[in-house]
Amino acid sequence: MSETPLLQLDNISKFYGSITALTGVSTQVAAGEVTCVLGDNGAGKSTFIKILAGVHQQSEGTIRFNGEQVMFDSPRDALDTGIATVYQDLAMVPMMSVWRNFFLGSEPTSGIGPLKWIDTKKAKRIAKEEMAKMGIDIRDTEQPVGTLSGGERQSVAIARAGYFGAKLLILDEPTSALGVRQSGVVLKRIVEAREQGLAVIFITHNPRHAYPVGNRFLILNRGRSLGSFHKSEITVDELTQKMSGGAELEALEHELHGSGATS
Amino acid sequence: MSEQDTPTDAPSDVVTTSAIDASDSLAPAADERLLYRSIFQRLFIRPEVGAIIGIVGIWTFFWAVSETFGTVGQTFGWLDTASTVGIMAVAVSMLMIGGEFDLSSGAMTGAMGMLIIYLVKETGELGGRGFPLVIAIPISLVIALGIGYINGFVVERTGQPSFIITLGTFFALIGLKLGLAKRFVGQIQIGRTDEAADFDFFRLIFAAEWERNTHELEVRDALYIGFIALGFAILALAISELWFQRREKMQPAGLVVFFVGVGLGVGGLLGLHATDGVGANAALVAVMAIGGFVGLFGWATWRYEPSVDHGAMSLDSQMRRRVGLGLAAMVLSFIVAIVFDSSSTHQIFFPFTTQGVRVILYLVFAGIGIGLIAMASQAALSVNAATKFVVTSVFALALGIVALTVFVDSSDTKFRGSLFGVVLAAAVMVFVWAVLTFRFAERRTGSASADRFGARLLALGSVLLFVGIAFRMLFITAEELVAGVPPAKTSVRLLWFILFTIAMMWVLARTRLGSWTFAVGGNKEAARQVGVPAARTKTQLFMLVSVAAWFVGLLVAFRINSIQANSGDGQEFIFIIAAVVGGTLLTGGYGTAFGGAIGACILSIPAIGISSARWNTDWRFLIVGVILLLAVVSNKFLRNKAEGIRR
Repeated sequence: MSETPLLQLDNISKFYGSITALTGVSTQVAAGEVTCVLGDNGAGKSTFIKILAGVHQQSEGTIRFNGEQVMFDSPRDALDTGIATVYQDLAMVPMMSVWRNFFLGSEPTSGIGPLKWIDTKKAKRIAKEEMAKMGIDIRDTEQPVGTLSGGERQSVAIARAGYFGAKLLILDEPTSALGVRQSGVVLKRIVEAREQGLAVIFITHNPRHAYPVGNRFLILNRGRSLGSFHKSEITVDELTQKMSGGAELEALEHELHGSGATS
Repeated sequence: MSEQDTPTDAPSDVVTTSAIDASDSLAPAADERLLYRSIFQRLFIRPEVGAIIGIVGIWTFFWAVSETFGTVGQTFGWLDTASTVGIMAVAVSMLMIGGEFDLSSGAMTGAMGMLIIYLVKETGELGGRGFPLVIAIPISLVIALGIGYINGFVVERTGQPSFIITLGTFFALIGLKLGLAKRFVGQIQIGRTDEAADFDFFRLIFAAEWERNTHELEVRDALYIGFIALGFAILALAISELWFQRREKMQPAGLVVFFVGVGLGVGGLLGLHATDGVGANAALVAVMAIGGFVGLFGWATWRYEPSVDHGAMSLDSQMRRRVGLGLAAMVLSFIVAIVFDSSSTHQIFFPFTTQGVRVILYLVFAGIGIGLIAMASQAALSVNAATKFVVTSVFALALGIVALTVFVDSSDTKFRGSLFGVVLAAAVMVFVWAVLTFRFAERRTGSASADRFGARLLALGSVLLFVGIAFRMLFITAEELVAGVPPAKTSVRLLWFILFTIAMMWVLARTRLGSWTFAVGGNKEAARQVGVPAARTKTQLFMLVSVAAWFVGLLVAFRINSIQANSGDGQEFIFIIAAVVGGTLLTGGYGTAFGGAIGACILSIPAIGISSARWNTDWRFLIVGVILLLAVVSNKFLRNKAEGIRR
């Protein structure tokens, strides 16, 4: 853990009218570390991301990025600061090719004055190289993103965020729609991003995905923080228990064993 | 399920990472599942493929049923309509790729034409100022941009469907056109553009004409045949380059054969130019064809890996049945063609004459025959080289029977000459292809350099064909003048249409605006999230459509010199239909500019075709409707097929 974390959140709260979506959440993430945000449905994970991504603004609390207090007015604002968010529904255009998606919004151009064209050769080469760094060999960068598997799409999004100089990568439930092997691929990408010195916030409801890759765990339940733990302070079983409201699950497990529903 | 994927009790990163590493084998595994898609499969899934098939079909249909369709004059006729429709259709295609509609685009063309005339006209204190065109044209351009901007601005601000917003603009424009015309000139027609002081200069830009009969070029036919033959030859080389596996080490002996073939081809061509007898012509065409085959074979021997394992021919029962029934149907079609009296116009029952029944029966039998054999050869592709060779040859034979039938039993010289020639050439080409694919190994892996070289040859061949046809259409020979070929003329608007289409193809393929157009139409939220200025992009597309409408308005104002207040109203649907026929998806995110241009041509052919077939021109609406339905169904089918190949 470094001395000043890249992102420091203190007592973040968010109210939608009379509804409290998030109260008093604090955590931090440092460069080269993964902070996992865990919580069941309705725990406030989405609100948490949207505040960091600049979609919503917090009602209370402070966000410090690199030690400076910040407030994001728009997604572009957050992006320019160095926070890239990879959404669950993926910011990709399925009918467009891999390289166009990779560079969408930031295409490299050549040409003079108003007559600018995309340097397609360069764009294709870089897209291929960056994907190769992620361990995915895209033979034809012209193929539409819609033909890639879910894990590969996540990888394109992660590679894109890294290439465009994101310092903090927020991944919204990247493994939730994926099978076992594909989830493995995405977890590996997270580890790689971390090793390249990026700070990562990994949002998930699956502690078994979070624990192996995370350095710090923020557990949310019904809009409240159940604490932010360093990996040394918690085991995966404790994590699972805290997340799901422990006792209830244990009771359920006993019940199931008792009735012979599991073998 | 996924809980078992990663160890739950991993205390350190080392163990964890290595556990995840196990999934690393995924990437190559996923690659193996990715089949090699040849460039033809990739071409086949382009959005405009359906439109290209469509234009060939509809052109052939009208060529067959009418006396004069297909002559240079008639071709210039439908190209002229296609030019104005096409400029709009290309712009509208781009807007639709961006996920929006513009129902005001038709009314806007008329409005812009009227605006120009108002500006150059001196109608007293209320009306125009009598500006010269050099001032009037920029003013009208700014106003056009303004209308497009308003459309885009309102759509973006309200978030309402552009369909309804531009419907409002549509009615507003209609009202303005009628109201202002009555107010200023007291009638719904306004003229004239040529009152402007500098009319003659701008007329050259917007309405210059080319009279074919005043441009004589003696060597035209030599140039025409030369370019066409060279074009086809290069196309054949391009397809081979894309299709076959290159050798590690080239075989120079093949190159010698290649040049022998080229020599034969050139010799045949020169001979053809020098002689005039029909018999000699046929012989020399045969020499050229043999030259082409020898050259292609030599080229292939030089460059491509020979095929080694041909396997033994094996036809399963279904294939055997299809080939047998198919050949039987072909023979039957031949008999049908000779038995019926082709010169009889006796009506068997309304509306069919003997001739009509003969044609229908013939088409049914020949269609069934060709279809069955085509299905068999499709199935044979996946068996082995020997089987493929045999079945493809049978397919060539079936085409040969069609050519023979056309030749021995057609009353019309048009069919006896052109159709016979085309079908026979097709039969020969299929057979040559069967020989080549038997002899040489097909490429099964991606090769960037072969793809690039092949694509360049493909482009070069297409350009040569285009140049050849252009010579044929733009110039006349002394012989034709003596024979009294009817005059034909074309206008500079065709050139503008071609240039605009190419420019927009480039914009879509190579610029940020193009990329962003696909993005905002395909997934607007995603585009916005990665920083694409979605609102600005869509507004620019609306402005593109209004600028196209301005340009088309100018073309019309310069052509007919006066504009009716209802000019262009209702055309917006034609533009949208052209875009859809060209393969653009109504829901956005998918389509091409080229498709829109082809769509415009498809819609322009019936009007000319029907009148040259001497039918009632009201039938054209029926034809447009049927084309649209066919296009929607077949584009959907092609897209599904495309996605099937992709996955």
